Amino acid sequence: MNLDFQQFIPSLPYILKGIGVTLQIVSLAGILGFALGIILSFFKISRFKFLGWIADAYTSVFRGTPLVLQLMLIYYGSPQLIGYKIDPSTAAILSFGLNSAAYISEIIRAGILAVDKGQSEAAMALGVPYRPAMMDIILPQAMKNILPALMNEFITLTKESAIVTVIGVTDVMRRAYIVGGEKFSYFEPILIAGLIYYIMVMILTLLGKGIERRMRRSD
Amino acid sequence: MIKVENLHKSFGRLEVLQGITTTIKDGEVVAIIGPSGSGKSTFLRCINLLETPTNGRILINGQDITDKSTNIMKVRQNVGMVFQHFHLFPHKTVLQNLTYAPVKVKGISKQEAEKNGLELLGKVGLSAKAHEYPNRLSGGQKQRVAIARALSMQPDVMLFDEPTSALDPEMVKEVLEVMKALAHTGMTMAIVTHEMGFAREVADRVLFLDGGVLVEDAGPKEFFSNPASERARDFLQKML
Repeated sequence: MNLDFQQFIPSLPYILKGIGVTLQIVSLAGILGFALGIILSFFKISRFKFLGWIADAYTSVFRGTPLVLQLMLIYYGSPQLIGYKIDPSTAAILSFGLNSAAYISEIIRAGILAVDKGQSEAAMALGVPYRPAMMDIILPQAMKNILPALMNEFITLTKESAIVTVIGVTDVMRRAYIVGGEKFSYFEPILIAGLIYYIMVMILTLLGKGIERRMRRSD
Repeated sequence: MIKVENLHKSFGRLEVLQGITTTIKDGEVVAIIGPSGSGKSTFLRCINLLETPTNGRILINGQDITDKSTNIMKVRQNVGMVFQHFHLFPHKTVLQNLTYAPVKVKGISKQEAEKNGLELLGKVGLSAKAHEYPNRLSGGQKQRVAIARALSMQPDVMLFDEPTSALDPEMVKEVLEVMKALAHTGMTMAIVTHEMGFAREVADRVLFLDGGVLVEDAGPKEFFSNPASERARDFLQKML
């Protein structure tokens, strides 16, 4: 096996610049997915059946079709949908955010249902209305339990973001591919990209463990 | 004063309460006893609307809480509840458990809530645990905190749903002592319990429920020494 990393050293800063692009897409999509996921999970546990039905339909569609298809639908469909073409990274943030909201809503729903019913009864018995009881008593306990599953989702999101390559966003993956094309050698730059993704995921994992430790203070 | 008139509660086809009528006067301590499945807990939970009565009326200080226009949250602020399994908020410290509702619901300042909270913890003998998390406490300590938490809202009435049933035997006494002290302050209390000795000593009145029916409503001396009904005699024989 003859690997020649030497020739790629000048291209390294170019590839590394993709980290910023990847991180921007992942973090914004993560925030969007989380916020929308919470709302959808509330719909799912709502006593208004109609809201639950909407959230279930949403989840079913976004879980039932490939992410890359959703990405392309939003990107290439935008001129027909809203009249102008959105830029590729916006399409990426939107599709990843909407997609992970479907998964996150299921995670949060399960987390809320797993909190002892006595907790909401205790809050009710103190005269605490539904909304603050949910926000201050139930959700914090649910979050603690679902943190590992949530971290999993964010890790998946980070890795899956590489498919933005197909709509031409110059993230880590795309840049590695471009550099490979310039030098007619794809193996080394893609290895480099792999290492970068791996390190990003490791950092995310450590971050998750740190948050989990903080949340376990009360145990 | 709590006035219960012809209270019915059904879960599906199962009629758990079949028309209960009674009055609990201000400052009165009422023990609610009966075999399991007799509807004692359901009766108690109707008083702060954790269960919605199917039929009948409940008036607290003249206000009909079963009326649709009644603000349930306001009612509950005046009716403290202590659960069998404590239900302390595990992610909040003991003191935060006591200050959360007063600050959030009553809108009093954090400083004042903490001052009141510490005072209450002193009364239940747990000042030293103010900044611990509930998981670090024993069962008896947790239940004393739960009592203090219910008191933090300065309720007019306190409901106890089998407050010592989940405790190890050696911790029962410390909780009963706190409840006894509370009874002596003139608090109106309704207590579902299996502690016959406690009911006999502390209660002003005993309600005996069986099969969703209020079978006896009597003073403790009368009830324990000379129960009027066959069912109560039967029950007491098994308990004592």
